[in-house]
Amino acid sequence: MSGHYTVLATPAAQAAGAVAQTLASLPATFGPTAEGQPGPPDVLVVAGGPGWTAEALSAVAAGVRGVLVANPVPEDATELAGAADAAGTAVVLDLRWASNPALVGESTDVADARDAVRSAVGTASLLDSVATAAPATDPQRLLGEHLAALLAVTGPLDGVVVLRSDATGYTVGGRLANGAPFTAQGVLTAARPAGVDIRLYTADGGVAVQVPDPDAARPAEVRITGAHGELLLPTLYESAHRFAWRRLKDHLGASTQPDDLAGFARLTDLYATLAAT
Amino acid sequence: MSHHAAPADRPLGVGILGAGPVTQAIHLPALARLQDILEVRHIMDVDPAVASSVAARVGARSSTSMDALLGDQDVDIVAICSPHQFHADQVIAACRAGKKAVLCEKPFAMNGEEAARISAVSTETGVPIVVGAMHTFDPGWLAAERNWGDLPEYVHTIRSSIVLPPNARFEDFATEIVTRPAAGRPDYSDVEVIKSALRGGIMGLAIHDLPLVRRFTPDFQQIEVLQARHVRPFGYAVSLRTPTRVIELRAVMNGTWKPEWTFEAIADDSALRIDFTPSYVQAGSAVATFFRHGSETSTFGPYGHNGYEGEWRELAELARGTRPAPSAQSLIDDLTFALAIADATVASAAAGHASAAEKAGVSA
Repeated sequence: MSGHYTVLATPAAQAAGAVAQTLASLPATFGPTAEGQPGPPDVLVVAGGPGWTAEALSAVAAGVRGVLVANPVPEDATELAGAADAAGTAVVLDLRWASNPALVGESTDVADARDAVRSAVGTASLLDSVATAAPATDPQRLLGEHLAALLAVTGPLDGVVVLRSDATGYTVGGRLANGAPFTAQGVLTAARPAGVDIRLYTADGGVAVQVPDPDAARPAEVRITGAHGELLLPTLYESAHRFAWRRLKDHLGASTQPDDLAGFARLTDLYATLAAT
Repeated sequence: MSHHAAPADRPLGVGILGAGPVTQAIHLPALARLQDILEVRHIMDVDPAVASSVAARVGARSSTSMDALLGDQDVDIVAICSPHQFHADQVIAACRAGKKAVLCEKPFAMNGEEAARISAVSTETGVPIVVGAMHTFDPGWLAAERNWGDLPEYVHTIRSSIVLPPNARFEDFATEIVTRPAAGRPDYSDVEVIKSALRGGIMGLAIHDLPLVRRFTPDFQQIEVLQARHVRPFGYAVSLRTPTRVIELRAVMNGTWKPEWTFEAIADDSALRIDFTPSYVQAGSAVATFFRHGSETSTFGPYGHNGYEGEWRELAELARGTRPAPSAQSLIDDLTFALAIADATVASAAAGHASAAEKAGVSA
């Protein structure tokens, strides 16, 4: 099989981003690097563990056209952003939940969770969110994934503090832009599938967002409740992984730069604030 | 005192102290479904027009004094649906009047001293007391209890989330209310208003589920508040922990039409979720769902009646002596747990308000 763009992924990156099974659903666009092929691949996949920005920076310096980072941890990516911009390299982040197409979609013509939440947040009375992950998950890493999903849809979060963090999860509190309280809880359990649940309550209803893990193409659900009743946004049977790759395809094809790293800087800044408390 | 068993072919007589919306929209419709075992015979309210109007709906006598109702020999079971501050004295008076059973709307006392007095009188008179924590009588909860095995030992996280429209929405589905109390316009810039709202939220709303929370919290006497936030217009976001449990309480009463009332108890490998039906309407029982190992679920319910009807069924059995009385200590523990949370929540909110005002340099 050969695609328009060759892809190279280390075993760690393969595992972190479920690369083989995801690219199997984009066979006309991406394909593996042929053995012995000279020069860098078109796309390098980087596992998003600590130090991923340095690895991505090396890839940019080596001349790849695109970098896909699988599930990155919060890390200062300022230098990477500058280098990618100068080299014209597209760096796309494949985030566990935040990259789900139901949260921030590809078209301004189609409503997504961000539209729903941001149009309601002005009258919010409470934002309550719960992230669920398997026992033994690093709660700090889970919190980063959780906050990434929240920031994708809510906009700024103020006064964020970690109230507790332990082997069963965490509780975080803060304020929305209008001063209403927001809470984010991490729960470590194998009883239920992993995912994140975001509930925004407003004066006459609210928005409920349920995002599954990207290990399958189960759709997220976005429900908007108001005086009109309840509206379920169209379901998208596409995983966060695949949607990240499709965005990379679009940027490579159009030679444009994604704003993933700029968005990620907001998470890194918030995370640094939390780490200091 | 008279503890004679009522004739099996005659319904037990019910007298109700306080004829406000809870009596009109919750208890009378629930009792209307149980006419073969219970009959409303006396309604008391300090407002004579309300007392007579509500009593007339069910063909009962009316009065404006507690003594008249307690002296009514046709009343076997007394339900106390008056304002909170009257509960303790009225429970004690009903026990001393030799009634067969007493239902007291939650909370049954406002402090530990009142609770101890009630316990002593209940023990002395032998009159069983039921507190109107309706979810503990819900068939969905009772099915969960029968099937949860050792889950309470291993739970580490407990969540109660209550999203409701204003009471009037469901009251109006349940009945035609007379003399609904006027709603105020609270001044949220006043910390005393916030403190009062939070105490009201815990003792008036969270208290429905705190007995459920306590069942999964063996070290409930060591509660610590991590955060207490008031949610406008009415609600709370309270995070608690004990040495072994995390407890998250959320409530929002807004203008929504969509009620969501859930209780969750979560362990490493299994979890319980209960979806309760809203109060006031006869919408059947809660549904209890067990989750195990990520992909196995088992569900119990819905059953045909809710917790309010469940508590009246239990009261009838208690009054007939066909069921043992509930543990007074358990009721006291439930109350002291709720009071401890309410006190700590209010203290935490007051401290947070003072801190925020100091940071802002204003009296917010």
